[in-house]
Amino acid sequence: MPDENLIKELKAIVGPEMVSTAPTVCESYAYSFSLSIDWVTRPEIVVMPATTRHVSEIVKLANRYKVPVTPKGAAGMTGHGGPLHGGILLDFIHMDKILLIDDKNMKAITEPGCSFFKLAQELFKKEMILPTAEYGPGPNVAASAITPVNGFGKTRYGRNIDLVEGFEVVLPTGEIVHIGSMAYAETDFGPFFRYITGPDLIGLFTQSNGAYGIVTKIAYRCLKRPPYWSFFTYYWPLEKIRKCADVLQETTAMELFDVHINDKWKFEAFKFLTGVSLVPDDCYFCVIFSINGFSQQELEGKRKTVAALCSDLEGKELPGIAETFFDAWPTFFCPPTHPVAAQLADAGYKATKGGYMYMYDSMNYPLSWFPHVYEKIMEIAQKHKIHGPPRLTVFDGFPMKSQVMCSQTWAFVNRKDPEWMQAIHASKEELRDWFGKRGGTYQQCFPPVLPDFTWTNQKSAHTLMKRFKQFLDPNNILSPGTF
Amino acid sequence: MPEFRTWNLDQFKNWIDLCLHCGACYARGPIVPHNWRELPPHEYAAPHKKCPPFEYFKFKNYSPQGRQILASLIFNDRYEIDEEVIRSFFSCTSCAMCNEICIPYQPLYTVLAMRQEIVEKGFEIPGRLKKITDNIQSSGNIFGRKKHAKNLGLPETGEDIFFSGCYATYLQRETALTSVRILKSAGINIAHLGDKESCCGEMLKQSGNMKLFKKTAVENVEKLKQAGAKRVIISCAHGYSTFKNDYTNSHIVGALPFEVIHITEMIASLLKEGRIRFSKSLNKTVTYHDPCFLGRQSGVYAQPREILEAIPGLTLKEMDRYGKWSYCCGAGGKVTLNAFPEMAKETGKERLLEAKAVADTLVTSCPTCLAHLKKTAKTEGIDIEIVDLSMLVATTMELSD
Repeated sequence: MPDENLIKELKAIVGPEMVSTAPTVCESYAYSFSLSIDWVTRPEIVVMPATTRHVSEIVKLANRYKVPVTPKGAAGMTGHGGPLHGGILLDFIHMDKILLIDDKNMKAITEPGCSFFKLAQELFKKEMILPTAEYGPGPNVAASAITPVNGFGKTRYGRNIDLVEGFEVVLPTGEIVHIGSMAYAETDFGPFFRYITGPDLIGLFTQSNGAYGIVTKIAYRCLKRPPYWSFFTYYWPLEKIRKCADVLQETTAMELFDVHINDKWKFEAFKFLTGVSLVPDDCYFCVIFSINGFSQQELEGKRKTVAALCSDLEGKELPGIAETFFDAWPTFFCPPTHPVAAQLADAGYKATKGGYMYMYDSMNYPLSWFPHVYEKIMEIAQKHKIHGPPRLTVFDGFPMKSQVMCSQTWAFVNRKDPEWMQAIHASKEELRDWFGKRGGTYQQCFPPVLPDFTWTNQKSAHTLMKRFKQFLDPNNILSPGTF
Repeated sequence: MPEFRTWNLDQFKNWIDLCLHCGACYARGPIVPHNWRELPPHEYAAPHKKCPPFEYFKFKNYSPQGRQILASLIFNDRYEIDEEVIRSFFSCTSCAMCNEICIPYQPLYTVLAMRQEIVEKGFEIPGRLKKITDNIQSSGNIFGRKKHAKNLGLPETGEDIFFSGCYATYLQRETALTSVRILKSAGINIAHLGDKESCCGEMLKQSGNMKLFKKTAVENVEKLKQAGAKRVIISCAHGYSTFKNDYTNSHIVGALPFEVIHITEMIASLLKEGRIRFSKSLNKTVTYHDPCFLGRQSGVYAQPREILEAIPGLTLKEMDRYGKWSYCCGAGGKVTLNAFPEMAKETGKERLLEAKAVADTLVTSCPTCLAHLKKTAKTEGIDIEIVDLSMLVATTMELSD
């Protein structure tokens, strides 16, 4: 039971209605992903701060009472954010204001709980964009910067964090600091540049899960929105995987907006249940291109270049996939509103008796390794019989401009079927072992995380992270267990 | 997608997870960003604030996503029902905006299933809900009033039967009588069950008492059938939705032996056919509040607007949240009103201020919304006229008592 005096003092800071220790309230925050995954991060106290000052006071209080404080990542689709060791969970969902949109200097500042979709709409009105991979409405701007989130947190341009120029952060002592462009937010020039005098401190808080400090304001560098857009798909059969990989490498190096790859199993759930195929029989890899231009000529030029490259490397055009997903309303950005996504969810639902899909890892590796990694994933899936219907291991890849592939592997799972669950876990462990030994890193790692290559592959860096943690947070108050 | 509306409790219990965990229903703000070329059209332009109990109580367990998680856990015996669980599920307003957002999982139906689970496990339901259940059983109406007060002075049999419902009969008798006058002026021989009319039972369903609800539904359909009904005209949005959407479930009554029509659909239809005419000019700017049970739950959006636009001199201005994104008035299927009155008041206040920002008159077509908004405007000192659509129609038709 949390200390009664601590609760009293928390209520004095944020107001009594913004603090709860009710088991049911805490339980609802304990799950941040499918319940098929037994990943429970249950807080003992949930607090809703409204200001940076609140956060600072809460952290100071937590130091006095030696109680952990963890910021809540986002509303959903962001993996396993949550407190690893109980204590206080700070929910920022109501701290969601957009504080600045500067269309001349192309900057935006928001509070941590502002969703990407909200910011995206406001930027759109000012002819700007953030090049995020927007596949769900849940994530908020701070979460994608500080947690290794799924789907979000990366763009073809790299990570969302590459677009962050400044933070306001509450340190583990409760001290409020402004780093990067935010250090100059109150000057005449405003928050204009990430690289101020001295080292770039933004990286310290990146993927930190809030362990070094709690982000309370975030400054983004935005891009100008080109008015001309085109979305199209090319496909390759399985035996042409290397040709497909060459296309990924070439096109991610070009000035295109986005390149995305799926294997056919993404569409097989639909076919499995309805008998209707969305893709031709010889289609195995679908690559979706999103391109843009500031003139029609620029757009057409890019499209011709990509089309010629795909044709040269034996790809075939597949109309009706990219256009339907991203061009027409409803877009695929909000899966629950999209009829195909809804049908896919239904297919998964029926196949798994409500167990849904299990994402067994979200991995980063050199793009040039894509064919090897893909073949290994499928080899392991076949060995453990989770390949093909009804278990349907699906590959979902985000090749990035830095020639890094970030891919997720999903499979359906019926949690009530122990054999099925065992197969999923065995696949995950075998893949993780093979992948980790080669130096792969994780965008998101699903528990249990053993052997933990995330840390064993980077021993010296991990030691340094722990040293920083000890220095900044001697009481181990913020997000303990992160490093 | 699964027809969650028609699912029974056991069907819910067979599923492990009832959520994609995408956060669309939980995150504040849009559910779609843009498609690079344009902002989303109205159909996908969900409002910033969506869920009244979440806005009032703030914590995740009061959001659709939080409730889906709790329900999945409880249905799979991984969590026990406690007082906070009961509050989480009974504070839902049944506004159904979450169903518009989440096509695959339709979260409202999980809420109703959980309420049933709570009742069947013998837990006490909050506020005045138990009293209302008793009233329906003893007096045939939610207020526990004497049945004979229902009499509208109409014949008790006929092909067109007006079903007045509890609110219009006991709290806003004038709206019921006005609806009848409009129908009569169009030459419709309207009948009414009189003191044989019983509550539609919506509150029984909303309170998780499905056994009593089914009994009430079967009895009501039988009475209307016996009275010769070929068409039942309902002025209450809740009654209309209950007949049209709930009675028709195969495990309640199934296909009904008569047509069910809401008074706004009827008036719009009479207007199109030229059977009624609007003569008096009403020089005012109004906004229309879509009742959740008429709009989202039953899909009646166009007819009330067609009626308003046909009134001479009247200007219709939409609120920020309108049509499928209309915000709840706060009465919350009468459950919120009777179990969480403070939340009902705060939600109503927000809706009234939204209306006042665009018009001096708020028009609606649900007696519950009307009564709750009127009361809230009075207690909160919000200066806005609140009118029932039928009353406005009667004024422009210059119908006298």
